[in-house]
Amino acid sequence: MTLQWTIEQDIGRLILNQPPSNTMTMEFFQEMQVLVNEISTMENLRAVIISGSGRHYSSGADIAELLRNVDHRTMIENYRAFVMLEQLEIPVISAIRGVCLGSAFELALFSHFRLCANDAVLGLPESTYNLMPGIGGIQKVAALAGKARAIEIILRGVTFSASEAKEMGLVDGTFPKNDVIPVSIAFANALPVNFKSAERSVYLHKFLKPLHAKD
Amino acid sequence: MNHSDKVTFEVRDSIGIVSLNNPPANVLDIPEFIPIGLFSQWTSDETLKGLIFKGEGRNFSSGGNLEAIFEKSDEPESLNIMMRDGHALLAVIQNLDIPVIAAINRVCFGGGLEVALACHIRVASENAMLAFPEVNHHLMPGMGGTFMLPALAGFSQSAKMILGGDIVNALEARELKIIDYIAPKDQAFEYAWSLMLKMTSDRPVKVIRSIMKALKNASELSRNEAMKEETQLFCALAKDEAFRRKSEEA
Repeated sequence: MTLQWTIEQDIGRLILNQPPSNTMTMEFFQEMQVLVNEISTMENLRAVIISGSGRHYSSGADIAELLRNVDHRTMIENYRAFVMLEQLEIPVISAIRGVCLGSAFELALFSHFRLCANDAVLGLPESTYNLMPGIGGIQKVAALAGKARAIEIILRGVTFSASEAKEMGLVDGTFPKNDVIPVSIAFANALPVNFKSAERSVYLHKFLKPLHAKD
Repeated sequence: MNHSDKVTFEVRDSIGIVSLNNPPANVLDIPEFIPIGLFSQWTSDETLKGLIFKGEGRNFSSGGNLEAIFEKSDEPESLNIMMRDGHALLAVIQNLDIPVIAAINRVCFGGGLEVALACHIRVASENAMLAFPEVNHHLMPGMGGTFMLPALAGFSQSAKMILGGDIVNALEARELKIIDYIAPKDQAFEYAWSLMLKMTSDRPVKVIRSIMKALKNASELSRNEAMKEETQLFCALAKDEAFRRKSEEA
């Protein structure tokens, strides 16, 4: 399985599990679609936290495999899985450590919240492979960071740091890397049971701010 | 009158450069300051990867020629057509599927600011001055400034800027999200040029245009419509790239 799913104290832990860099293969996307479908029917689940196995969130799609198999229908299905994740009525939090690139960053962008390790590396490098982000990342970046920044980071395809991502509005908080998962769990537990994704900024202010280490 | 003399166009390294050339402050004689047909001809070059708007000399542009507007004031219909044509030109600029950067040194007022707002990215020098001074003449921005500004700066800050007519400096403009990057004194063009090359020089034209189209769809279409098109654009690029890799192997 390229995905690992466990439930700990009513919090679902979705772990991208294809070490070392948790590449997102076609198999991954198929498992993702099935799993998100199942999650949507689970009762008593408080939240979903997505993270990568080992040091990294994920380096994104397997480009060679993708180029051999790409078709319109598969891409739309992958996108639908992301949208279903976003439409879950419980909070979905991406806990980002290490690299988070391409489709993996798109997956994070479809989460309701992105909490990020200080030394994480993010980006949409698709254009450097003569491609473009293909699972909705373009729309998400434009909405969060504005059109000008979206044009710059997507055309250049350069990676950026967690603090740059925070400044652009692409992630919600940065933490020491060993704190990212514990903070994500604490944040998930702090969020109200009748979570509404439209209240995102209120939740960040009320429940994430207090979790930043006081220094 | 051949008003296109007051705007020049050249292409350097696949980047088009439009210079507002009506010194000293590059007044825009009429709202349609480049005939749309001519502008479309310039930008129909399929090898073009980007476009930069700049002002000749020290300033970007002080905006429209108010005398010309007051002259037309007793012919409301022709004034209306004149403004509509100007607005249509800005829409053409905004809708281009290559990145368009405004390189703003010093003065950028009124219609000049509206031209800059129609561009996709704004680079301003640290000594740039931006304003909608129309209110001081008992007028208002007439080429879309009243809706392009709030999209970036929000309603209340836009109301303050348009009703107050006050000058905003580069730092304030960056804070208000009206501009995206601050360049050193008088270096807006150099900064914009280097940014443009970083974004485009290693990219095939088709990749650039596909990404720009997807970004445009994101703001104009419903999410599902935009996504359907994005997927098509993606698959077309993937096909090209798969083919390129295969022929490299062969």
